[in-house]
Amino acid sequence: MGLIPDFKQIATRSPWIYRINAGSCNGCDVEMATTALIPRYDIERLGCQYCGSPKHADIVLISGPLTVRVKDAVLRMYEEIPDPKVTVAVGVCPISGGIFRESYAVLAPIDQYIPIDVNVPGCPPRPQAIIAGVAKAIAIWRERL
Amino acid sequence: MNFLTIFARNLKQGPQTEAFPLGPAFTPDRLRGRIEFKAESCEGCRICERVCPANAIRFAKTPDGMTFDCWHNTCVFCGNCEFYCPTDAIHQTNDWDLSHVNADKFDMVEHGLIPNQTCVDCGATALNTAPMVKNAKPPLSAEEYTELRARCPKCRAKYLKNRKVPA
Repeated sequence: MGLIPDFKQIATRSPWIYRINAGSCNGCDVEMATTALIPRYDIERLGCQYCGSPKHADIVLISGPLTVRVKDAVLRMYEEIPDPKVTVAVGVCPISGGIFRESYAVLAPIDQYIPIDVNVPGCPPRPQAIIAGVAKAIAIWRERL
Repeated sequence: MNFLTIFARNLKQGPQTEAFPLGPAFTPDRLRGRIEFKAESCEGCRICERVCPANAIRFAKTPDGMTFDCWHNTCVFCGNCEFYCPTDAIHQTNDWDLSHVNADKFDMVEHGLIPNQTCVDCGATALNTAPMVKNAKPPLSAEEYTELRARCPKCRAKYLKNRKVPA
C-alpha cells in the first residue's frame, strides 16, 4: 500500500517529452532541439528528456499548423500517448495558423482536433520561452497525475 | 598540455548553462518581442495593418472611435509595423515570455482605442489622431500642436495653410 504514493512522488519528477511535427517549417523544431540538447538551455534540469516513442511520453510538444496531409498521422500518434498527457503548442502556427492562416492546405488552429493545454507563441519562440511553457506544462501534469 | 589550459578555463568559468527557469534569463535589448501600441501617438494611417504579413493587426471603427488590436498569437515578430510606423506608435519590446495556458488564448491581445472628438472649428466628429506634421516648416510649437490636434482633418489642413510663417 505504501508503494503507490512513493511511486507517484518519483514519477512526477521526470516527465518525458515527445515532439510531434504537424507540418512545421522546422524553425520551431530547431528551437526545441536547442532547448533540450545543448548545455546552454539544458531542459534536463527540470527532469525532462526526449523519448523516441510516443508510448513513453508525458508531455507532447506540437509544432506546425497541422497540414491536411499530416492530420491523420498526427491524430494517430497523439492517440498512442498514454494518459495523463499534457500538450504544448509551440510557435504561432498550431495556435492560430500564423502566416498560413486561412490556407486550403492547413487545418489550424490545432485545438479543434487536439486538446491543447499550454501555448508558446513566437515565430519561432526563444528556447527560454519554450522552457517557460514546459515548466507550466509540468505544473499542469503534476495536478493531473 | 592544451587540455590542461581548457580544464583550468572551464574550472574558472563554470558551466555555460543559463540560469533561466531558476534565475533571470539573458535578454538582448533589441530583441524583437511583444508588440506595444501607444494610441495617443497613432496617426490612424493603418499602414501597420497593411504590411503585417500574418494579419495580426486589425483596426475597426466603433461608435467610440477606432480600435487597434494586435493578436500576439498570430504575430510573427517580423517588425514590419514598427519599421513602417511614421510616428513610432508601435514599438516592439524585448519581452519574449508569452507562454500561457490555453484558457487565456483569446486574452493575448494588445488593445488600443483612438477616441472620437468634436472639432473645435466646425463641430464635426473626427478621430483624435496624432496630426501629420513631420514636414511642417517651421516645426510646430507645443501650443500649436494641441490646437491642431483638436481639429478635424479638413480644419487641420486649413489651420496649417493659414498658419503665419515668418519669412
